[in-house]
Amino acid sequence: MAKIFLDGKPVEVAEGTTVFKAAQQAGIAIPHFCYHPAFVPEGSCRLCLVEIEGSPKLELSCSTVVREGMKVSTQSPTVREARRGVLEFILAEHPLDCPICDKAGECKLQDYYQDYGLTESVFREFKEKREKKVRIGDKLILDRERCVLCTRCVRFLAEITKTHELGLFERGIHAEIGGYENEPVRNGYSGNLVDLCPVGAITDTDFRFKTRPWFLTKGESICPLCSRGCNIYIDYHPGFPRVPGSAKVYRIRPRTNDAVNGPWICDHGRYGFIDLQQKNRCQTLVWNKGERTAEWSWDKVLITIGERVKALRENGKTNRISLILTTWLTNEELFLIKKIFKDGLGVRNVFFADPAPGPEDGFLLRSERTPNRRGAREMGFDLKAPDLNALVPDTDILFIFGPHFAGISHDGAWKPALEKIPVKILVTSHLNELASTADFVLPAAFLAEKNGTLTNADGRVQKIAAIARACFDIRPESQILLDLAREIRLDDSYFGALSAPEAVHHELVKEIPFFGALP
Amino acid sequence: MTDLGIVLIKIVLALVWFLVITLYLTWAERKESAVLQDRIGANRAKIFGLRLFGLFQPFADAIKMIFKEDFVPAFSRKFLHTLAPFLSFFFVAITISAIPFGDDIRVAGKTISLQIFDADIGLLFVLAMLSLGIYGIILSGWASNNRFALLGSVRGAAQLISYEVALGLSLVGLIMVYPSLRLSEIVRAQGGLLFGFLPAWGVFLQPVGFVLFLFAAMAETKRVPFDLPEGESEIIGFFAEYGGLKWGMFMMTDFMEILIVSTLLTTLFFGGWQVPGLAEGGFHFPWGGTWHLAPWLVAVFQVAAFNIKVFFFCWFQILIRWTYPRLRYDQLMDLGWKWLVPLGLLNILGTAIVMSL
Amino acid sequence: MLKALGYFVELLRGIWITTRHFVVNMWFHTLNLFGIKTKRKGAVTIQYPEQKKDLAARHRSLHRLMKREDGKPRCVACMLCVTVCPSECIVIEATEDPDPEIQKYPSTFVIDLNRCCFCGFCVEACPEDAIRMDTAKIDLAQTSHDALIFGLDKLLK
Repeated sequence: MAKIFLDGKPVEVAEGTTVFKAAQQAGIAIPHFCYHPAFVPEGSCRLCLVEIEGSPKLELSCSTVVREGMKVSTQSPTVREARRGVLEFILAEHPLDCPICDKAGECKLQDYYQDYGLTESVFREFKEKREKKVRIGDKLILDRERCVLCTRCVRFLAEITKTHELGLFERGIHAEIGGYENEPVRNGYSGNLVDLCPVGAITDTDFRFKTRPWFLTKGESICPLCSRGCNIYIDYHPGFPRVPGSAKVYRIRPRTNDAVNGPWICDHGRYGFIDLQQKNRCQTLVWNKGERTAEWSWDKVLITIGERVKALRENGKTNRISLILTTWLTNEELFLIKKIFKDGLGVRNVFFADPAPGPEDGFLLRSERTPNRRGAREMGFDLKAPDLNALVPDTDILFIFGPHFAGISHDGAWKPALEKIPVKILVTSHLNELASTADFVLPAAFLAEKNGTLTNADGRVQKIAAIARACFDIRPESQILLDLAREIRLDDSYFGALSAPEAVHHELVKEIPFFGALP
Repeated sequence: MTDLGIVLIKIVLALVWFLVITLYLTWAERKESAVLQDRIGANRAKIFGLRLFGLFQPFADAIKMIFKEDFVPAFSRKFLHTLAPFLSFFFVAITISAIPFGDDIRVAGKTISLQIFDADIGLLFVLAMLSLGIYGIILSGWASNNRFALLGSVRGAAQLISYEVALGLSLVGLIMVYPSLRLSEIVRAQGGLLFGFLPAWGVFLQPVGFVLFLFAAMAETKRVPFDLPEGESEIIGFFAEYGGLKWGMFMMTDFMEILIVSTLLTTLFFGGWQVPGLAEGGFHFPWGGTWHLAPWLVAVFQVAAFNIKVFFFCWFQILIRWTYPRLRYDQLMDLGWKWLVPLGLLNILGTAIVMSL
Repeated sequence: MLKALGYFVELLRGIWITTRHFVVNMWFHTLNLFGIKTKRKGAVTIQYPEQKKDLAARHRSLHRLMKREDGKPRCVACMLCVTVCPSECIVIEATEDPDPEIQKYPSTFVIDLNRCCFCGFCVEACPEDAIRMDTAKIDLAQTSHDALIFGLDKLLK
């Protein structure tokens, strides 16, 4: 351990720590562009200058290692003056197009200008004109005028993905970021460049110009597109009054969690989540039997389903209920299904219909493309795929959770087989061909709209929180299941006490302690 | 037969006069209030592009009210609800029959009094009919079955009964001076001069009585400063559940009351149709000398004088209505019982003493 | 007693004021009727649809969007007006402009006048002077809500 003095405050840090990290640990923010904890320090932006006693010049805090007894000043007039000078140089070349810049509002340059600069420009010459719109990847656009040449993007591609698509070309005032032979950035992690860029130089066609960052509320959640369980922020726009559909999730950003994903997420999750959240959602409650299509109320539908189930139960034939589940369901929902159907009604036919496994990329993306297979296994479910031959003859009521069942057989053989089952109930967040076959379609919430926990492949139980407001008829599965349990009159004293997913989680931990390890 | 015909003609003429003036009082009210508030007032109603200071406004109002839905609330007592505005209207309208418009005239050897009927209890008749108007208010509030309407009508009843007392007392002195209840005789008694230069009008013989009568009569019209039964800004009043022409009848009743009060003020205190110096045969100047006029011309002068006096008091009442804010209920009752009634009694006492000297 | 007398005096003063107004105004009304002293009116009324008062130079009337020289809207869809709008009546959807120097333009720009409170914050917030409230149009009443929702076409006129 080394003892240093930061702005006169004694701080104990490990040997070999840089001054920057020491300041971070002591809660002192030092402005920076090029420094990123995941990369080797570069020291190109010259913003993290600090004054070190005994040193003739200002030093770069990001690359200076602490010495015992070092006296560092991060806010002295000299330091502030130096930073102000650096900022003035950067701003001399930086265009003032904040009104149309996607980064405005979360831009570091804006923040530092407020903190240090606020200077009148003394620069009389015209600003250097550069390309405003260079497509450097499938979804990436580079604005060379806004670039402050921190080379975070170059280092990300060199150190993390090791694909080396971008480099720094030319010298002096002509220096610019570009691709070799104009090869586009094409790897599974290109979206991270947008988050990395401290200014608005690299933007993302998915988010570009759609909204402004200050309209967005961020919610902490878990990426559901593979079993890695990457931690994410969901940026949600609460919408304008009188404009239907203006409330929506605009983007996904990584949430740093060194135990799972570090500061990155893959493009599969980043762009896939938005598509899932917005496209093809099941939004209306439907009672659908052949030609008679009418919209029903939730109460009516749940009473009807409850009566069907109750009728089977009175005849002692509850084993003629079958379930097709998905591991998109949260731990709480799976637990409720287990309590209601397996333990309460004695249902034996439980299958899992999940999307087909995809290729693994060796970094974050895993082949299991649902977030909670580990949770289902720990819950005691046998993750077998649906077997129509075993299922159809033994089934009077079929509950299908999730939209993936139709994807399991490509020849469409499931359709005539399902016709033979008297009652088919589909609880889904997304629509597919199943919706036209099912007797009841109950629209369910998707991840951004419900609370709960998910278990990733390594057994980490992680929380998801409802950030977006679900529209129309949509209800979370946990609520649907609890209402159904009350309709069936299944152990009122037990299910009556459970209302929120938090309460269900409490019960879950009591029964299976594995799920108690919330990070 | 001819007598009956004459009476019918008199009734028709009096009613037409009465209703037309009432109609134009609504216009006068709007215009006068506008002028004294530096505004212009209703001037948009026009016929063939002719606006004429909004003189057509009353017709526009009438057409509007006639074509509005004749609405009777489901929860009201329907018969009484309909009856109430007619009662109000009737008891005020009938009062006009006792008012003398001019001196007797002789047409084709017949003496015709310009008065529908000249009862020897004329003054009592007028007071009685005005008091009966309360029934319209009470009935409307009761039949509306609406608590605010009832509140308004109860207030109205209390107010009208209170001021009825003051009204009666203020006139006792007058009756003592002109020992008659016959209105035509009261007017006749106001001819001639007092001390050789003042017209012998009631206002000079009974100044206190005049002021008391003015206050009490204005309270009887239940308009602002005394509009407690109505209370536009709070309880809406006894006609809260009325609309269209029935509401219009209540409104007309208000304006008719202004007119009736004006005619009474004129008749009792300002010499009715008397013009100072004008008597049979023409003007007789106090310094001697006569300006001879034909009898019909004298009658015209008299009726015109009566009209001018009435219009003046209509104007004056509207002026009062647009000058003063409303009294609080307790102030209203204080004014009635603690000021007007005692002053009325004192006035009777004073008159009696003066007369006995 | 004195107090009551005071009331009585005030009553007389009140009636004096109203009478004076009546007489003076009537006098000038009458004179004006015969074309005399027409500069001094009997009433301060402005007969609205026929006579209109001049709007103040800074009066905030109906919004308009400014154009560039080539006719495209000057607006760059920065949504600062949306941000500052206290009644949340502006909705903008931005689109990529083919010109990289403009970059962003509004494909929809809707002002919902049903909600607008004419505070003028949007005008003050605009960095491009693209929105102004100087059309001097103040008679905006419509018979339906939809007619009060102004899109790009109406605002650019």
